[in-house]
Order: sequence, then C-alpha cells, then structure tokens
Amino acid sequence: MKTEITLIVNGEAVRDVIEPRTSLADLLRDRLRLTGTHLGCEMGSCGACLVLLDGTPVHACLVLAVQAAGQRVDTIEGLNESGDIKDLQQNFHARNALQCGFCTNGMIMTAHALLSESTAPTRPEIREALSGNYCRCTGYEAIVDAISATAKQRATNAGAGK
Amino acid sequence: MELEGRQSLAATPEEVWSALFDRDVLEQAIPGCESLEQTSDTSFAAVVKLKIGPVSARFKGEVELSDIVVGRSCTLSGKGSGGIAGFAKGAAKVTLTPQGPETVLDYTADVAVGGKLAALGNRLIKSTAQKLTGEFFANFDRALAVEEDAPAA
Amino acid sequence: MSKDHIGQSHRRENALRHLAGRGRFTTDLSLPRMLHAAFVRSPMAKGRIVEVDVTDAAAAPGVVRVFTAQTLNHVCEPWVGTLDHFAGMQSGPQNMLADGQVLWAGHPVVMILAHSRAEAEDACELVMLDIEDEDAIVDGDAAQMENAPLASDGIDSNMCFQTVLETPDLDAAFARAAHVVEGDFTFGRHTAVTLEPRAVIADYDPSTGQLTVHHGTQTPYQFQDVYARHFGLNESKVRVIAPDIGGSFGMKLHVYHEEMATVAASLLLGRPVRFVADRLESFVSDIHARDHRVSARMAVDADGTILAMDVDDMTQIGAFSTYPRTSAAEGNQVIRLMGAPYKMPDYRGRLSVVFQNKVQTSQYRAVGHPIACAVTEALVDRAAQLLDMDPFDIRARNLLADDDYPHVSATGYQFEKLSHQASLEKLHDMMGYGALRKEQARLREQGIHRGIGIAPFVEITNPGAAFYGVGGARISAQDGAVVRLTPSGDVHCAISVTEQGQGTETIIAQVVADQLGVTPERVKVTTGDTDTTPSGGATWACRGAGIGGETALRAGRKLQAQILALAGAILQADPAKLTLANGAVVDAATGDERISLAEIGRIATYRPDTLPDGCNSSLTAAEHFAPGGYPFDFTNGIQASYVEVDIETGITRLLKHWVVEDCGRIINPLLVDEQIRGGVVQGLGPAFFEECLYDDAGQMTNASLADYLVPMAGEMPDIEIAHVETPTKDTILGAKGVGEAGTAAAGAAAMNAVNDALRPLGAQISQTPMTPLRILTALGHVSAGPKRGY
Repeated sequence: MKTEITLIVNGEAVRDVIEPRTSLADLLRDRLRLTGTHLGCEMGSCGACLVLLDGTPVHACLVLAVQAAGQRVDTIEGLNESGDIKDLQQNFHARNALQCGFCTNGMIMTAHALLSESTAPTRPEIREALSGNYCRCTGYEAIVDAISATAKQRATNAGAGK
Repeated sequence: MELEGRQSLAATPEEVWSALFDRDVLEQAIPGCESLEQTSDTSFAAVVKLKIGPVSARFKGEVELSDIVVGRSCTLSGKGSGGIAGFAKGAAKVTLTPQGPETVLDYTADVAVGGKLAALGNRLIKSTAQKLTGEFFANFDRALAVEEDAPAA
Repeated sequence: MSKDHIGQSHRRENALRHLAGRGRFTTDLSLPRMLHAAFVRSPMAKGRIVEVDVTDAAAAPGVVRVFTAQTLNHVCEPWVGTLDHFAGMQSGPQNMLADGQVLWAGHPVVMILAHSRAEAEDACELVMLDIEDEDAIVDGDAAQMENAPLASDGIDSNMCFQTVLETPDLDAAFARAAHVVEGDFTFGRHTAVTLEPRAVIADYDPSTGQLTVHHGTQTPYQFQDVYARHFGLNESKVRVIAPDIGGSFGMKLHVYHEEMATVAASLLLGRPVRFVADRLESFVSDIHARDHRVSARMAVDADGTILAMDVDDMTQIGAFSTYPRTSAAEGNQVIRLMGAPYKMPDYRGRLSVVFQNKVQTSQYRAVGHPIACAVTEALVDRAAQLLDMDPFDIRARNLLADDDYPHVSATGYQFEKLSHQASLEKLHDMMGYGALRKEQARLREQGIHRGIGIAPFVEITNPGAAFYGVGGARISAQDGAVVRLTPSGDVHCAISVTEQGQGTETIIAQVVADQLGVTPERVKVTTGDTDTTPSGGATWACRGAGIGGETALRAGRKLQAQILALAGAILQADPAKLTLANGAVVDAATGDERISLAEIGRIATYRPDTLPDGCNSSLTAAEHFAPGGYPFDFTNGIQASYVEVDIETGITRLLKHWVVEDCGRIINPLLVDEQIRGGVVQGLGPAFFEECLYDDAGQMTNASLADYLVPMAGEMPDIEIAHVETPTKDTILGAKGVGEAGTAAAGAAAMNAVNDALRPLGAQISQTPMTPLRILTALGHVSAGPKRGY
C-alpha cells in the first residue's frame, strides 16, 4: 500500500514511507512539519501552497508527493535560510505587503519566480504574474509595490556591478 | 437542470420497450452500474459508482417506471444518494417512435443534484450528465444488439 | 502627551515571522493523540432525517468514533440567536448536529473522528443518509407568502425580525418635495473566503478538568464564555488561545456547529480533536453576508436639497439567526445608516429579516454599511441627474457642515464631530476632478465609456455596550490591558484586543511606548490568550485602535505614575518634576537622565530591601476601558471610483480608486492606509465578482474557489488615499477605527461610476455583483432571464 520515496527538501535528503495519495503539501506540512507552506483551497486556485519543484513554482496541493520523488523541493523555510529572498522579504516588510500572512508564502514564491525571469516587470506585468495568488487582506497594491521595489533594487545593484 | 436528446436504436419499438424493462440490459447500459436488482415489475434498486470531476461516490438508488403507455412511452424516475458526495434525483420522459426498421427514442429529463455535486458547479454536472446519458444509450444499443443475437446463437 | 511614536509608520515585527514561513496558525498545530474531525453534511436544503446508518463508517480504518445528534448533542446547551433589544425577534434553538430535520445544504448531520482527516473523510463516504426531501424556502419573498412552509421548527413564521423607524414629518416631506427619485436594489449574498479556513483544536484534559481550545477566532473571550456556559464548565477551566489567524473579517466571531461539536467531542473522548474546514465546506458553513433587496425613494427640493428618504429593506438570513450577535444587526444598521452623511431631516426605514433554507448570514466587515451607502448614493446621483447637477455640487449642498456638530441623524445616530465637507474638497483636488471629467468627455466621443462615481460615508466605530450588551449578549463592551516593566527595564503589555494582521500589536506597542518613554521595539505585546491577557471585546466593529489603544494608553499612564513614584522615592525627588524619556526617568524641566528604567527594574525586583519603608515597588498596572460618552462613535470619509465599461462585453475595468478618510488620531499611517486599501478591495469584490449562487432547490452551485470569483491582483486598481484628522474627544488618544471604512463605500462609488459610464446609453444597473451579463442586460444587449439569479 505505502510507497517509499526520497527527495531533497531545502537541501536535505528526506526519506519517507507514505500513502500514494499523499499530496506534496501534506507531506511537507504534516510529515516534515514545514508549515510555512499553507493550504487555502486544495484545488490550485489560491496559490497559498506554492513551493519550488526543481526551481519551478508548483501548487503543492495538486502535486502528489510521489511525483516529487527524486526531485528538489524548496519551501519558504529553505529560501528564508538560503538568503535568496532576503531583499523581497525586506521590501514586503517595509511596504507592509502582508497582513494575516497566510498568502505570503505563495506571494513570495511567485515574486521570486517572476524576478528570476524578468528584471524590470511593469506594474501590470506584476499584477498579471500574481493572477494565481489570492490575498483577502491587502488589496494587492502593497504587494505589487514591494515586488516592483525589489526589481528596481536588483537592477540598480546589477548596474553597479554588485 | 434539464436534459433532452434523441437516439436512434437499431431495433423495433417492441424490442426497445422490452429491453427498457430488462434487468440484464439495464445493468449493462447504466454507466458504472455495480448491481441492479429488480424489486417489482416496474422498479429497480441500483448501486452505481460514478466519478464527477473530483467527486467520486457510490450511489445507492431506486429507479421506477411510471406513466406507462405500453410500447410507446413511460417516465423513469430515480433518486440516488451518494453519501458525502450528495444526491441526485430526476425524472425522464421517454417516447419511442418507429422509423423504418429502427426506433427513435426521445427523452426529456429534469435532474436535480445536491451537496458537493451541486457545489462543484452546474457546468460540470451538465456536461457529465450528458456524457453519462450518451454512454447509457451507446451501451443500451450494444446490449440490444447482443440480446437480438442471443436467440440465434 | 508624548507623540514620538504615535503617528509614525512603524513596521510590524510579527510580519517578519510570516515572511520567514514561521507563522503560527491553528492549522499548523499538532497535538499528541489528536483526532481529526470530518462531517457528513446534508445534501438537501430541507428535509426530515429518516435514517442515518453509520455502521460501515464506524468500522472503517482509522475511525475512532462516530457521533450523531443522539450521541453528541446532549453535552451542549442549545443556543438561540436573539437579543432583547430587537423586540419580537425569533429564531429556533440550534444544536451541534442536525436532529430530525436538516435546514440547509451543508447542515452537519454526522461527525466522524479518525486518526487522520483523510480516514475521516473516507468514512464519511460510508455513511448512508436517508433524508426525506421537503420544499425549501429559497427566496425571501416566497418565504413571506401566506401558507409558505416554515424554514425551521421552533418559529411561528418566516419573519425573524421586523422594525420601522419613522420621523413624524416623513409623509409631509414627500408631499412637498419638488422631485422624488426611487429605485429597487438587489445586493447579492457573498462570503468571507478567509484564506485560512475556520480551524479549531479542542483539548480537554479529564485529569484536571481543563479545556484548552486553540481557535482561529477574533474574539477568544467571547468563546471562553460560550464554551463555559454551553458545556457547563467553570470559566477558569476554559482557556481559548487564538494564535495567528489567516483572516477573519467578522466571519470568525460567530458560533458554528462544527466548532461546538469539536469541543464536545474532546470533552467526551478526553483527547485533542481538530477540525479544519476544507474550502468546499467553508462555502456551505461559514456565514454568508448581505443578501438584501431594497426599495428606496428620496424626496428632493427643486434646488437639490434632500428632504427625506423612505426605505424598505428585506434581508435573507438562512434558517437561523446567528449566535450570539444575531443576524438582525446587519439589517438594523442598513436602515439606520441610510442618508447618514446628509442633513436630511426626515426618514422612514422598514426592515424585514427573513428566514430561508440557506447558510446563515451575519456580521461581516462593514456590517450593513455597503448597502446603506450604495442605496443612498445611487439615489443622490439620480437626483443630481434629474436636476442636472454635478455629483460634487449636490453633495456639497447636502453634506453636514463641518461645524454642525454634535448632530443627531434622522435615524437617531449621534455624531460627535465629522468632516464631510473637508473630505469632499480634498477628494475633488486629489482626483483632479475637472481634468478627469474632460478626459471622460473626450473618450466618450471615441466610443470609450468611462464613468466617475463618488460616495461619502460614515462608519460605526468604538462600540460600547449599546451594541450587544444592552440586548443581553455576553459580549464585552470594554477592553483590558496589563502593562508591566520587566526586571531589565523592558515593557510588556498583555491586552485583550487581538491581532489578525491589521497591526494591533504594533500600534499598541507605539501607544504604550509613548507613555513610558521607550521605543516600541522594547514593548512586547501579547494578545489572543484568555489565560495570559485580561478579558475584553477583542476585535469587532473597529475597536482595536480606538478602545484598545485608549486602554493601553491609560494602563501605560498608570504604570508611568507608579514608576515615577518609585523613582521619586529612590532619588528622593518630587515625582511631579520627573518624567519618562529615552528609556529612563528624566528631569522634566531639563530632560537630564536621573535613573534608567533598567535600574528601576533591577532595584524593584532584586533589591526592594533598599527602598524606603512603605514604598510600593509594584511595576505592573492594569486598566480596563469602555467608551463612556457616545454609545458608539463614527468616522467619515468619501470614496471615488473611475471605471471603463466595455459595452460589447459588459466587462468593467477598474482604473483608479480614491479614498479620503477621517479616523481621528492616526496612530500608524502605513497601517491605516493598508487597512483602507484592503477594505476597498473587499468592497469591490462583491460589487463586481463575488456571489453565492443558489439554484431553485437551495443548492449553492458555485461553492468552490474555481467557481466563486474573488478579486485578484489583475482586476484591482491602485488606490490613492488622503486623510482628514478629527480626533474624538471621548478619549485621551482620540483614535477611531478604520478597518471597515474601505469596505463601507467602495461598492457604492463603483456602482455610481458604472452608472455614470452607462448614463449616455440610457442604461442603469441596481444590482450587485455588476457582472458582465447584468451590465449587458442593463444595456438591453441581452434579455433578462426568467430568474433573478442569473
């Protein structure tokens, strides 16, 4: 009945024996206790459960844990410790781009992916990129501001040869 | 939710009529039918396993035939409960019209669903119901052909 | 008053945890031996339970216990959602699990407890429910027909509550009016869709009789009281902990069947029980909001002076009135907020609160405000159109003058001091009104249909006992704070107002810091735990800043006096000549440091023996505060919306939104603005997208996040905000609430903007959400369907 899988989560090799129906979100949250990945709809609509699977954002609620076997999974906890999202975190904090914090994981994942592909996204482009991330608290503007500010800082730093 | 349609069947109205009351034919025709018991001349108890979008459930239900005009028309009413998935109930008026060697079967059905099935949106339900109806008649047509062949075999 | 930190945009320390993935939500908690609950719900809107067969479910893998009404309901006193000050109100008693009768599609019938939620859900599929279908009351008008079936047992009609407000000269006002404008409005049912669903973990320890409930709620003390009373426990044996909460907006302060059942199951099993709603069950069990039909008319003089309004509101609330706040407060506020910003002398408002077999509706962000505001402002715009007046001009003529206070409205509301005229002027300048009108006219010639809509509003804030207490509800009118100086000279504040991300803990730290001469970083604020914080109202009706802030201020000042008295004793100085600044006791005249707070803390804690005899070394101060002046206070403001309607598709693009807001003293400008922005979008959602759609049998047909449309980033506009500051004199702090202001008028401004865009085409819309289909119908491009709910 149960399946053994191994995967790399936030740089650490993880082995577990799970039911095949276990979602990646449930594996991360319930078994590995990485509770920074949230569940908001369990049907891929809200974006609260986004994680990076081999570097690409995926809905952890729609991916079965067995589908992630042998791959690299990065969650908010891992990105936080690696420092890869430090500037995003700082700008979200400065701009108060979160209130209850439940969508924040997904917002950061989307922003992180957007900024790795696009160095100077326009506000409409940022809003479009966030089209799969639901936030009930902020009204989105502060999130758009924070991502935009991060893009500009990165461009400035790149221009300065940093 | 209303469904209607028309199906040409390669059999005479009499053959179609008797098949409508034939437990074996119905069992083969109903999509996902796990068991079908005849409880009287005009009623059946069924267990059907269905998957509609993300909801899958075993429905326990009853089917009853009424308004019977032999060889011409009748009403099939049914209701089924699928536990947490919800329920479905409905009635279909079926009319048979001979057309050469074939029979044209017209049906108009009024179907209501509840619980999770309804919550998941009528769009999905309607397309699924249409697909299941299509499957039913395709199976029914096939079962009819088998029944016809059977005596000759 | 020291103002070093009050008024500054301090950042939220607790936001850092969320950004690091270290939120502490109820949904994240796991306790030893915890069981998971799932519910079998009625698939029908109404029916009689013939048989519930749980035999197979009870034997399913992982299942520990299956409860039905017969095995669970006896441990809990049923609850009834009525209040005494709503005279003649009725609602049937509610139990945890449906007993005999199911009353809405989603009504919990069976509770299954298993080692995992997945196993509990698997077992749910094995329960066979035999329910005999009955005709459901789906529509509020049908509910009021003679011989209509009753929505539930225990009521004598489908009318939950009715009331009429009327000034004596109402009819005369209409008789002498030069013009009467009127309209029929429909406001759809929508729901909160908090991103974290409802979540509760009840943990009863039979060895000590202690019940601890980890509960994603905005009102932990209210639930402590509810659990104690309804389960027959001493309040001291009930602890409610509300950790991080993924959105609440009013939805998480009502009593729900599932939460009560979770507590009951833990009491019966003596181990932790967890219930987390999944999204599908949230849609059919979280409270819904609004669902009004309003007929209204307005009497206007030839010069555009508003003489009177006559309003009839029918609100549809589900099979029960919610507990403990009732489902009548929404409609009550609708009829009392009509015309509130205006001088309008006469008024009649009729309210009918009607039962139906749907999910209960109840208080949700900006209770009643969006309805009253949309109806009033739509009629003001219709009057302006009739008289060929500019929307700004007609409002300038009718809004209360800024020196016209105190004022009592035609509906009986008492306004201490508001700033409508200043706000109107500020909005006019901020949005560049003249240029915008020119742009609109120019684009119209090109066949581009843009519209501008404005909507002044008042918002209820700082509620005292007049809200619920006078009606017999055990809902606290006061809040409490305990402030203490720690042994090393830091400050701790435990307070009853709670944090849902709006920044409560941050503003409380700012307020306390200013009383004690420290930076907010040195003030640790604790919220959301009935064992460690004083009892109070917590979070509802915009009380956090106004009442919570004032409570913290008074507690801080009390501690300040204690510290200064102690410092005076240590320094042999007159406490009146000392004050607190920069983390120290300083000379009030010169600002020179006399002794640090750390030193005060050290001496009081470790060396009280060195203090003079009889010297009180207590460094903790407690204070409770309830508003004593006005029964509740009001804020005011005005919003504007700029939209473009594509008349081929019916799709509305939201180009820009403006808000001028007066919430009194602003404690933290950054957080205030973000409350407004979030509130505006929560008002725009139901104006354009959000609606709980039901079929004729009472089935909700879009109960998932794939089908129910919430506002997303791509559709929402940028929102520009300005302020007028009129502090309340009821408190020292002068702050009022701001959480609901955005939601109060956003939809009204948007509806006026859409109608402004449609006006040259002779079309008008009076229903929300303003979906593309409804706009096309208004334009006559598609014909209206036979049903209301298209």
